[in-house]
This record gives sequence, structure tokens and C-alpha cells, in this order.
Amino acid sequence: MANKANGRRFVSTRVEVEGREEVRTVELPAFELEPWEAGAALGIVGRCALRADGVDKVTGRARYSADIQRAGMLHAAVLRSAVASGRATVNLSRVRSLPGVRDAVTGSDIPTVEVNGLPLLDDAVRYAGQPIAVVCADTRGAAELALREIDVHYDSAPHAVTAAESLAPGAPRVRPNGNAPEVSPRVIERGDVDAGLAEADVVITREYRVPAALHTALEPHGAVAEWTGDRLTVWESTQGVFNTRADLAAALEIPISHVRVIQDYMGGGFGAKNGASTNAYIAALMARRTGRPVRCVNDREGEQTDSGHRPTSVQRVTLGARRDGTLTAIILDAEVALGIGGWEGGPGAIYQELYRCDNVRTTETFAYTNLGAMASFRAPCNVEGAFGLERAMDVLARELGMDPLDLRLVNYATVNQGRNTPYSAKRLDECYRVGAERFGWWVREGATGSSNADGRGRAALDGAPPVPRARDGRFRCGYGMASQIWGGGGGPPAYAMVRLEPDGSAEVLTGTQDLGTGSRTVFAQIAAEALGARLEDVRVVIGDTERTPYTGNSWGSITVASVGPAVRMAAEDARSQLLEAAAGILDTTPDRLVASDGVVRVRRGTRSLTFAEMGEQLGDVMIIGHGSRGPNPDDTTLSTFGAQFAEVEVDVETGVVRVLKIVAVHDSGRIINPALAESQLHGGIIQGTGYALFEERVVDHALGIPLNPNMHDYKIPTMSDIPEIDASFIDVADTVANHIGSRGVAEPPIIPTAPAIANAVSDALGVEVDEIPMTPWRVMSYKERESREQTAESGELPRG
Amino acid sequence: MRLEINGERFEVRDADYLTLLDVLRDRLELTGTKLVCDRGECGACTVLLGDEPAYSCLTLAAACEGVSITTIEGVARDGELHPLQQAFVENDALQCGYCTPGQIMAALALLERSPSPSESEVVHWMSGNLCRCGTYPKIVRAVLAAARAMNSEGDGGE
Repeated sequence: MANKANGRRFVSTRVEVEGREEVRTVELPAFELEPWEAGAALGIVGRCALRADGVDKVTGRARYSADIQRAGMLHAAVLRSAVASGRATVNLSRVRSLPGVRDAVTGSDIPTVEVNGLPLLDDAVRYAGQPIAVVCADTRGAAELALREIDVHYDSAPHAVTAAESLAPGAPRVRPNGNAPEVSPRVIERGDVDAGLAEADVVITREYRVPAALHTALEPHGAVAEWTGDRLTVWESTQGVFNTRADLAAALEIPISHVRVIQDYMGGGFGAKNGASTNAYIAALMARRTGRPVRCVNDREGEQTDSGHRPTSVQRVTLGARRDGTLTAIILDAEVALGIGGWEGGPGAIYQELYRCDNVRTTETFAYTNLGAMASFRAPCNVEGAFGLERAMDVLARELGMDPLDLRLVNYATVNQGRNTPYSAKRLDECYRVGAERFGWWVREGATGSSNADGRGRAALDGAPPVPRARDGRFRCGYGMASQIWGGGGGPPAYAMVRLEPDGSAEVLTGTQDLGTGSRTVFAQIAAEALGARLEDVRVVIGDTERTPYTGNSWGSITVASVGPAVRMAAEDARSQLLEAAAGILDTTPDRLVASDGVVRVRRGTRSLTFAEMGEQLGDVMIIGHGSRGPNPDDTTLSTFGAQFAEVEVDVETGVVRVLKIVAVHDSGRIINPALAESQLHGGIIQGTGYALFEERVVDHALGIPLNPNMHDYKIPTMSDIPEIDASFIDVADTVANHIGSRGVAEPPIIPTAPAIANAVSDALGVEVDEIPMTPWRVMSYKERESREQTAESGELPRG
Repeated sequence: MRLEINGERFEVRDADYLTLLDVLRDRLELTGTKLVCDRGECGACTVLLGDEPAYSCLTLAAACEGVSITTIEGVARDGELHPLQQAFVENDALQCGYCTPGQIMAALALLERSPSPSESEVVHWMSGNLCRCGTYPKIVRAVLAAARAMNSEGDGGE
């Protein structure tokens, strides 16, 4: 923890990056702040303030990166490979002379720039959709028409699109250095799983499969680039303006200070926009060649094939438990297909952490395949892992004759077992309790007796009959639940400034991003609270590497927990300066003054000055507050938790699953804005519903080509597909985590949704769901399996 | 060609082959209307032709001569938000906001036809407008709230 006593200004601290942690050196804040305790009397933080940019968004005024127009701007369009593997021979001579076309290049015409460790434009083709040439024209239409006129010839080579194909002996070479990253297989083990299995009364082994899911943000990846001399300005749709700046400077071999990255409004990211995109490199290079500003925005097909996906995996799970439900062993063997690149995101972490167990081994084998590269996608790893783990826990509960929730309570983890550190706060038990109550979990038909200490379970019925469900007709009803763990504790470095304007308003400057999460609004609330300003007088400026101080990427649900404390500190700093100045004017001392609601008042006195009056008095004297994010507490794990309960109805004649209701209760510490946080829960649950029921990139295995790179065949949920949602928080400040008491909100809610729905479908049909999405044909195949099993194993308990 | 957009007349040259969406965004810098799927699957480019909702990505600009076109930029009047826009803001019926213009245009067309829609009517009508942030429950709430506000305005007004 921050330790100023020995005079150190820089310390090492753990910094969280997408659920992973790194140790970094950070600067200690210039002064320490007392935490906003749970139950503290805060007036603006905790309020359902309206979204600060709502009016800009409903009027069409909000300008996204793809809306940026520059004088003389050209439009770049990308020729993408039509084959999965081989060599492309491209002749651009005819295209270069077409009307409106200003430039056309292949990889050999531009400096070497790498994306995912491979050339930006390459005639060696490694996946369908790979960029191989670029055309720049006066209009988007002219550029796209020119693409069709390019002479391109493909010599196809064999491809591998599944992990099994890629890792098989004699498999085609997917990447120059081999088909698996160096870390593969990654084995993480604690205890002794063989001893654990020997101790077990019950052992189950199952295999689960998750699909490749596509982010499908409505705003595609895109950038506009413009050079002024040797300085570059890029407007990019990105989750990290500073990361993008660093990527561009490195790739173009120019000083980082010569690159300015701007992003005001952003049409969704969901993890796929964490650094400079292919589009940004192309726009910057083509702008340099042509001497004109260039826009390069993905068309939808490019977006759906070559901008990232949640990787598909096969998860073989073995769980061992004693008769009382105590887990004695957890074993995962997973095979993950990454596509052509990305990072090693496997499902193992949640198996390591969610439940208490002394003997755990996760083995993750990664394979590169001839498809677009994976990218982080809303709670990467834990979403995929939660499906396998939480399905297996339900199977185990069934084998043990225990209620699924009881099994989870029996194995409740109170510390981070991998590091043997306590959690800053963990209220998952309250999430279970409140969620079960709101859902009616313990009074559902089929609830079994509870073994947990608070004596719930059947007792909750209090003599009343259970709530009956439709079971035997065409529509079968089922109930399921699942849990969640994720990071979201954030950390340094992150900086903010608060500037008071002569009219009494305040401007918050911080280099973060608002993907639609509401960070802009939340930071206005934090600043207004700490400054004592009126909320409507606070404006937040974000996303400009030249104008706003550094913060990291908006990923891993860390934005509020990382940047919020810096914003609060900057506002507190500005307020103390303001009070000092006011003390002079009011002829008193700063400690006798208080600022609130845009007014500085003398305590127990009548004299006061509004911020606007202060501004007039100060004239051109500026008050600028500085804030930085301090280090995280030592030997403590910062995590978020939650539980979801699902009710489904399955049409056994058509295989259509309808999710009727989701009850979600999450623990993210203090909630700054309940309305916006609720919107995030809705979003996670709805995306999770899509993952459970519809979403799957379909690949033609013979050709290696994605078949559904559009928004019709890749089906995301529509308004007709969504359940009734009852979403809430255990809203208690976590002052161990940081001095605003908040952890992240955005990613946690997508984690438990799909397994909760799958557990409910399994419950409805009495058949084990082992693969998502639960499309009608897949559900019908479960039904067939059920009838086969009933014939073969009549007399035995149905599994599920 | 001559187009009437949000009550203003525009003269657009050499645009016979362009979609209405391209004319709006690239020629007239009316970028509130969004390009997302470019093939009529997502509803983000919805505008009104008269009272009819239309996907501007599938509509040739040349086919819109003589029709009054309304885009998101023309919904607020004299700096005053339309009750539907107000309801979207008040109900937090948007997150990233990229689908929002299309959602509002689709909802406007609905309320024109059915001033007091039921919840299921709203859900059915709006199902062609995709939102990846998952704002749907609040969009339904906003459209119903706007309908109530517009009806009570009508009751109490001139």
C-alpha cells in the first residue's frame, strides 16, 4: 500500500490487465484521501443521473470516428482474401487508372507493419478475410467498385480451421513459427488431483463445447488519419487512445509525441478495439502516401471476419466430490482455437478460482487456425470457462442428489486460492441469498432440501406446495443458476485534471474512453461530488492523447476503479485550492469553509460565494486540480462476483428455447449510478442470452470460409428474444479496494447467463446440454438423445 | 436531383447511383443516420419517407425526389427535444448510441400509426432494430413513456 513514511515516490504494484495481472512501477499520489465509507452521505454519487451525452446521442449530434469528415479526405477500401490459405497474385495496374482512384497498394508497396505478428498486407494468405491490397478513392463507392476490378489470382493450399486439425500430425503450417504459441500447453496445478480423485465419493467427467462468438459492435473498426508535416492525427474507434498512439508510433517509426489519437464517441467495443486496428495503420500509411486525409472503416463483412472473436474451445472436465458435496478435485483439459493470432485466452482461470478446492489442475492447449484472429470479448476466458464449469457443477449436484445452489454454497471460496490472498470484499453469498429469494429458487418445483446453515431450502416453503411447472406438454419449463467471478479492481497508472472555468463551471480532463458504458457520466458525478459543484456544471473531456492525461485502456471492467479515484483526487485538489482562495476573499480560514452544490459557505455562518462569483473574483487566475490513481493494497485480490437465475421454456416440438426470466444479483462494490449500472447488467445478460441461444460463427470446413459474416445469418438477440430481467446489486462500498469503493460492472453480467440458461434447459428436458448455442436443431438432437437414453437405460435417473 | 430533408431543400449532383444513406452521410454531412450492416439487416440507417420508415442503405436517393425525408437531425424542433427523444434520455434507453437514431426513427413511425401501442406491439415493431449493447428493456420503456407523454400533451393542449 502507499507508504509515504519512508519517502518513496515510486512503488511496485499489481496492475490488472483483462483479468491477468502484471507488476508495474507507479508513482504514489501527492496526498492520501480518506475513503468514501459505505453509507457515507454522498449527494451526487449513487444518484441515477441522466447520461451526460444522452442528448447528443438522441439528436444525432454525437460524432463517432466513422462520422469524421476532413477536407479532401479519401476513402480506403480493403481487398480481403477469398481463400483460407495459399498465395494471392495481385495486379493493380488496371485499378490505378480507374476514375476516382488515387492510390492502390499491396504489401510490397508499403513499409513493413505487423498485426498479430504478421504483415499488415500479405500475399501469403493465412485466412479468408485477410487484407491483401488497399485502394484509395475519392468516395467510398468508387473505392469499393475498384476492389471488384482488381486482378487477383489465388493458389490455394490446405488449411486447418479447428484446433484438432491444426494440432494433428502433418497439419498444414498455419503460422511461420508453428501452429501453437510457446506457452501451449499451459498447465496450472495446485495440490494433487490424483489424491483428490482418490478421496472422492463421486467423480464425473464431461466434455463441453463453446462456439466462436463475434463482437458485432454496431460501429465497426475504423479510423481517419491526417498528417500535418511529420505529425499524425488519428480519429479511431478504440478502447484505448494511448495504446493506439503507442502502436501507431512504433509501427510507423515516428516519435510517440508526434501521434495524436482522438476518440470522442464510440459505438461499442466489447474488447475488440484494444489497440491500433488494421484500419488505423492503413489510414495512416495511405494518408502519408497520398498527402490527403484518409478514412478506412470496415464494411460489415470485414468486421465480422477480421476484427476478433471469442475463441471456440472444447473443455473436458472432471470433478470429484465427497458425499456432502465438498469438491476434492477439479481437472480441466481444454483445447482452444485462436484463429491466426491474438493472445492465449483459455477457459482455465475460473476453474482455478470460483470454488474452494485444494486439488486443481487446468491444462490449456492452444492452436492457431486459418481464421481471423481472436480478440478479448467481454469477460474473455471466464465466459467460456463458466459454461463448462457451471454445467459440470450441475451434473455433479444431480449425481449427489443436492440442490445446485447448495453445492455452490458448500464449496464457497473465501480467499483467492492461487495466491492465498483474501478478497478486498466478497459478497457472493449475499448475491445467492437475494437472487434465490427474488427468483423463488427455493420454492420451485424440484427444489431439494438445503444443507446450508441458514436453513433455507424446503423450509422456505413453510408448508406451502411448490410452485408447479409445465413439464409434460409441448412446452417444458426449467430452472437453472450459475455464478460469476471476474476482476475489475483496476489500478494505476491513471491521471485526471479538474480545471475551474471563470464562469464557475468545471472541466474534467482524463484520457479515458466511453464505449457506451457511461464512464463520462460517472466521472462527472464523482468530480461534482468531490468538488462540491453542481452536476450540470461539470463537463468531462475524454479520449484525446494531446489534451487529456494518461489513463489505460477501457478493458477488464477497470475504468471506474482505475480512473474514478484519480478524478476524485483531482476534484478534491481543485476544491482545496478553491477554498484557500475563497478564504482570502471571505477573510476566514479554509478549514471553516465548505463547498457544496456550487457554493462555498462559511460553516455555521451566513456568508457564501457561488462558484461563478469565485470565478469572477479570480479572473484569469486558474485553479487546476491534479489527481492520480494510487497503488492497490498489497496481498489482496480485487474481484467482482455475482449470481444469475434463469427460467426457460422449451418447445419440444420445434426445439425453440425461450428464456422467460433472468434474476441477476451482482457485487461490484459501490454503484456510482444505479440506472447506468443496471443498463450494463441488461447488456451483459442480453449478450449472454445470444451466446446461449443463437450466436455462432459458422465455418465451411472444406473451404475454410466463414459462412455468416453479416447481421442476418449471425444472429444477435432482437427485442423479441429477451427475457424479463430483474437485475440488481449488493451495493456496498469496498473501501479496501480503493477510496471511492467501486469495482467494475461491465463484464461480470455476461459470465453466468449462458450456463444458467443451459442449466435451466437441462432441467427442463432432463438431458445434459453440453454445447452452445442451443439452436433448435441442437435442442432437437438432445431430445433424440433423451429418448435413446430412456430406452437404453430405463430405470436410471435422467442425467442433467 | 432535388431532395427535401428535414424541411430543407437540397440540390445533389452526380448522385444517381448513390443510396440515400450515402447522400445523407457523405454528401450532406448528416451523419446522425448510421451505416452499420449496409444491407437492411439492422435498422440503424432508418429514416422516414413521409410517415414510412425506410432503410436508407437500401433506398436509392433518386427514388426520394418529391418525398419529404426526415432524419434524426430533423426530429427535435427549435432546439426542443421531441418527447420520444426526451423519453430515451430519461429512461437511459441508449448506451453507445450507435443504434439510437434508427431506434428513434422506427419508434416515431410506430407512434404515428399507433399512438397508444401495447408493449407487445412495441416489441414486435422494433424487433428489426438491433442494439448490441442490450438496451432493449429500456427502449421499450422509453417508447411507452413517450406515447403516454404525447397523448397527455394532446389531451391538455390546443
